[in-house]
Amino acid sequence: MAVEPFFGVASWAMGIFQTVALIAISPLIAGVMGKVKAGSQKRIGSSIFQPYYDLLKLMRKEEVISDQSSWIFRVTPWIVFVATATAALFIPFFVSFTPFAMAGDLLLVIGLLGLARFFTLLAGLDVASAFGGLGSSREMMMSSIIEPAIFITIFAISLTYGGTNVSTIVTSASNAAVSSPGQIIAPSLIFAVISFFIIIMAETGRIPFDNPATHLELTMVHEAMVLEYSGRSLALIEWAQSMKMAILLALLVNIFAPWGIVSAVQLNQPGAAIVISPLILIGKMMLVAILVAHVETRVAKWRLFRVPDLLAMAISSSLIGVVFFYL
Amino acid sequence: MDFPQFDILAISSALLLVTTFGVVVRRGFLDWLVAYRYQAIALSAVTAIIAYVTGIWEIYIAAALTLAIKAIIIPKVLTFVTQKIKLDVKTEENPYVSIRMSVLISAILVALSYFLVQEITIKSDAVVAAYLPLSISLFLIGLFIMVVRRMALNQVVGLLIIENGLFLFTTALTHGTPLIIEIGIFVDIFVGVIISAILLVRMSHTFDTLDVGKLESLKDG
Repeated sequence: MAVEPFFGVASWAMGIFQTVALIAISPLIAGVMGKVKAGSQKRIGSSIFQPYYDLLKLMRKEEVISDQSSWIFRVTPWIVFVATATAALFIPFFVSFTPFAMAGDLLLVIGLLGLARFFTLLAGLDVASAFGGLGSSREMMMSSIIEPAIFITIFAISLTYGGTNVSTIVTSASNAAVSSPGQIIAPSLIFAVISFFIIIMAETGRIPFDNPATHLELTMVHEAMVLEYSGRSLALIEWAQSMKMAILLALLVNIFAPWGIVSAVQLNQPGAAIVISPLILIGKMMLVAILVAHVETRVAKWRLFRVPDLLAMAISSSLIGVVFFYL
Repeated sequence: MDFPQFDILAISSALLLVTTFGVVVRRGFLDWLVAYRYQAIALSAVTAIIAYVTGIWEIYIAAALTLAIKAIIIPKVLTFVTQKIKLDVKTEENPYVSIRMSVLISAILVALSYFLVQEITIKSDAVVAAYLPLSISLFLIGLFIMVVRRMALNQVVGLLIIENGLFLFTTALTHGTPLIIEIGIFVDIFVGVIISAILLVRMSHTFDTLDVGKLESLKDG
């Protein structure tokens, strides 16, 4: 299944523009989630632009690095940021394809996110603080169970849309959404979306799995690994974290609800659609982010050894999705 | 590339399966009853779809009866009993098979029943093809829940899931049994739930637990 043969200058510019937009907008999504969460807990909460202020503040701050740490500790924030930003290149954001798609598919995106996580794990172990090791071991346990769920979900999606290439998937999905809206609610995709939602909560460390707001030793997973970071390194890691959230939300929205995305054909004949589609897409991502924030308010943090229950749910849901495809 | 066609049969069976998994993944007594209520609503919708596809009006009555008895009366009775029982913990503490394993095994049971039914070459229409494997998987999941859970209430819910599976099986395969038999089955189920509710209350009074594993240990003392 070939992607539309459309590799002009405009296409490359569009690809780079949408990646930059995704990276730039990701702290805003984190800000909106924080605001909604505060609102649903009857607090006022900080401004939705607070993550940008935090990033700016951290950029200006002095950085303290333990003299016991090795080069891994210093290089990890850059690897995490670059790997996540590279993964963002392969995500069709508001155009249904990206010119970089010829270089990698959905599995590469997962691989890059995995690389970022691997180096975070190493950095947690590197400084030899008790918290880092604790966070790394918890993260390793969780990620080894998330991985099969992710892969079976990708199988269910790519079987339905004929390929693991993100551009192919999103193009097929948006074509299906235009030609016959009913095809979007195939039973295999219903199960895949349940599984994908659980995966998003787990991957981005949301509340049933991990509590991003506390520094309490009982609850923290991701925070424990990056506890030793400060200044610019912390800014990079936090930005990468919100970027990961934005990538996964964009994937969820574009694969399972691809209405209003600009296709390659529309890009050739400029019109209102190109202007509206980013707004539609950001709106849809905000809606999912609000949903995530409400879920976070409603559930309590689960005991660490109950977390595999939820992931088992994701695995079995995606497994049934694959079974339903073969009916 | 061929997309899966929009078909209401497959989507409704997917929704029914999702509600069934609600019983498998939850631990609390009331959670099972809520999940069972949603399952009964989905089953009633599925029955109405069968009635619409086959065009037999009697099945609409069966759907309405399902909604009235299984989605409203039975959960109400069991919820009343659950609130009446005086127990400290109303959750499934340690089932014979852990929750996460039972979720995975249930998924495998679903896959198994779908693949097994594909092997059977019966002359069938779309309704049978969509709902026969679904009813078998409901049956297997209910049986599995009855076997691996310790709490008597969970076993009652498992029995009710089996019954839902059987109801779907007969309705899908025969396009509706005669109405008098249908009503007989519903009365049967209702009386069964009343009796098991009485048993649950007696059991919690006498043994202070709903754990069926603890019933055996009392023989020694």
